[in-house]
Amino acid sequence: MMKILVVDDEESIRLLYKEELEEDGFVVEVAKDGLEALKQVPLFRPDLITLDIKMPGLNGIDTLKRIREMERQIPIVMCSAYGEYKQDLTTWASDAYVVKAADLTELKNTIRRLLRLL
Amino acid sequence: MSAHPDGYDLLKATIELSTSSLPIETKLERMLQSITDGFQSDRSLHLRPEAILKEGFLYRVAERRKPLWVDEETPFQEERVLAEERDLLCSSFACIPLSDETSFQGIFYIGFSKGRKFSSGEVDLLLLLTKEIGAAIRNDQLHGAAEDHEKSMRQLSMLMELNRALLTTVNFERIVHMTLTAITIGDGLGFNRAMLFLVNDKDRVLEGTMAVGPNNAEEAGEIWSALSQRKGNPSELIAKIESSTENHSVLNSMVKGIQIPLEHAQCILSRTVLEGRTFNIGVPHDEEEWLQTRCERGCHIGSEVGCYVSEHLSRDPKIYAFATIPLWGKGKVIGVILVDNFYNRNPITEEDIRYLAMFSNQAGLAIENAMLYRNLEEVHQELKEAQTFLVHQEKMAALGELSTSIAHEIRNPLVSIGGFARRLDRALPADASEKRYAQTIVKEVGRLEKILSQILTYTHEDAMALKELDLREVVEESLSMISESLRNGGIQLSKEFSEKVPGVKGDYYQLKQAFFNLISNAYESMNGKGNLSIRIHPLLKNGSSFVRVEVEDTGAGIDPESLHHIFNPFYTTKDNRLGLGLPIIHKIVTSHQGQIEVNNHPGKGVTFLLTLPAQEEKQR
Repeated sequence: MMKILVVDDEESIRLLYKEELEEDGFVVEVAKDGLEALKQVPLFRPDLITLDIKMPGLNGIDTLKRIREMERQIPIVMCSAYGEYKQDLTTWASDAYVVKAADLTELKNTIRRLLRLL
Repeated sequence: MSAHPDGYDLLKATIELSTSSLPIETKLERMLQSITDGFQSDRSLHLRPEAILKEGFLYRVAERRKPLWVDEETPFQEERVLAEERDLLCSSFACIPLSDETSFQGIFYIGFSKGRKFSSGEVDLLLLLTKEIGAAIRNDQLHGAAEDHEKSMRQLSMLMELNRALLTTVNFERIVHMTLTAITIGDGLGFNRAMLFLVNDKDRVLEGTMAVGPNNAEEAGEIWSALSQRKGNPSELIAKIESSTENHSVLNSMVKGIQIPLEHAQCILSRTVLEGRTFNIGVPHDEEEWLQTRCERGCHIGSEVGCYVSEHLSRDPKIYAFATIPLWGKGKVIGVILVDNFYNRNPITEEDIRYLAMFSNQAGLAIENAMLYRNLEEVHQELKEAQTFLVHQEKMAALGELSTSIAHEIRNPLVSIGGFARRLDRALPADASEKRYAQTIVKEVGRLEKILSQILTYTHEDAMALKELDLREVVEESLSMISESLRNGGIQLSKEFSEKVPGVKGDYYQLKQAFFNLISNAYESMNGKGNLSIRIHPLLKNGSSFVRVEVEDTGAGIDPESLHHIFNPFYTTKDNRLGLGLPIIHKIVTSHQGQIEVNNHPGKGVTFLLTLPAQEEKQR
């Protein structure tokens, strides 16, 4: 069973992602900000992380850097309401960038592609 | 006695001659002849004031204003006689000054080789006759002066009228047209043709600006006969110029095409500007005078220089008079006026040039002012456009900032609302009435998300990621985003893609968005029924290669009144639309150096034509 860590400061988003991804057969854990995510990574050892960018405390971009210091291999999908960082971030340290949408098809396809489930 | 003249007849004949309309020379000649005949004298003469030399005896007659009678009883007693005067001395003669209180018209002389005596009746008669001669000369002089006076009055008043007319407008074209017309109309300066060349300081060339004059001799004849019938006062003629400023003559369009490098020192027009002086080139009298000076352009006008203009203006440039005069602005020559008498071949006099100079000095200032005003208007217009552009940019920047923050704040809740509505939709059994509610939420959230992304696309200058693209693939991709709706409705889709389409350098996502907007607009305009045609083909324009994409629908078309608004952001005719669809397309196409055109047929449909520059073929 593949494990996914969802990092987002909005509770409703966390809930939505968790339920949707669990329905698709993933084991899902959530974190409400960057610091919590950093604690979860070594404990939960996810196969993939979805990371929001704008969060209080440690934001998504700093969190991405810190996770990469610990874990080089875990695929990370940046999930944001902002579309304009897309160009910069996909070439940098994350593996994908998805602009948040109510239709989760794109996110799910990206996750499956990164986990080689397609 | 036969030697005595019939005083009555002689006086009558002299008065008749004096009051006749004959030219003064003829009058004088005939009056003298009749006196010679009447008195049976050897000769009678009129000695003009300028012919009377100082020191001689005639001079003393003139000075004393008293007649001199020499006959058998009164011998000649003057001691000083000039050699030129000896001829006049004979046995009997009389010298009678022609004068009144203020003027002197010379001396009347009558001479007899035979000795005789002047009777008192003859003296009286001769005095009367000379009075008449003097009066005739004075009248003629006065008349001449009055005519000269009248002529210069007329010309001065015309200059004044023209100056006044020039002051009434700052319209450049009109001022130039008025100036040139004033130079050519009969009551004005009366030249056959007038042409204006203005200095273009930036490029250092003289540019043909306007020409006024008949196109050919027949036209000239018609104009002149019309003018002689309608001798109006100049201000009326000027008023006519003001109302019709169009000038479509062949001459005008010919002159407008002329450009002469200012440094072309062989050209008389450049010289007029560079030396700031007038050239009056007369008609040469015989072939010897036609100097065969040719300028580089190969024209010669029988004058000291070769002239570029004559090459354009006449088939036989050698035989007409012309003059060039510099047009002065404030302290510098701003152009040159060329005048000629091409049709009637009249010589150009120094007086003509003087009036032309007087007039063109005024006209020069008016033309310079009009040019300055025109520049001012242009700059003003540019400023206005720049301001509008800036305001627009500012609005867009503000909108951009606002929308970025809104996007984040609104997108997250929308994701939750839409996401859970989807879950709800899936969870509800197919027959549940609530299913429709959930679906409505899903649909409306989708619309809100679309609006958000449209605002972001329009307001954000995303860096373009340029790649070589096959537009056929991009269009197919855009079509796939909407294909579900197309399949469901009654819309026929036809695709005509050329087999060979050159690549286009562009941003895949942006172009996909542009075609998507275009196709979905077309789709929506047809209300579920109609034909959607998409054509892609290569296009050659001005030697460059392009790719054209045409999207044609059979919808309602665009209301002609809205047509020029359709690319303005937030302009929409539909209540539920944001009006960013076409502006986004426009923005994307122009940032790809492309063009978008609209063929609109209200009620029948509309075709959008996108033209994008093709990637240059790689040299192999």
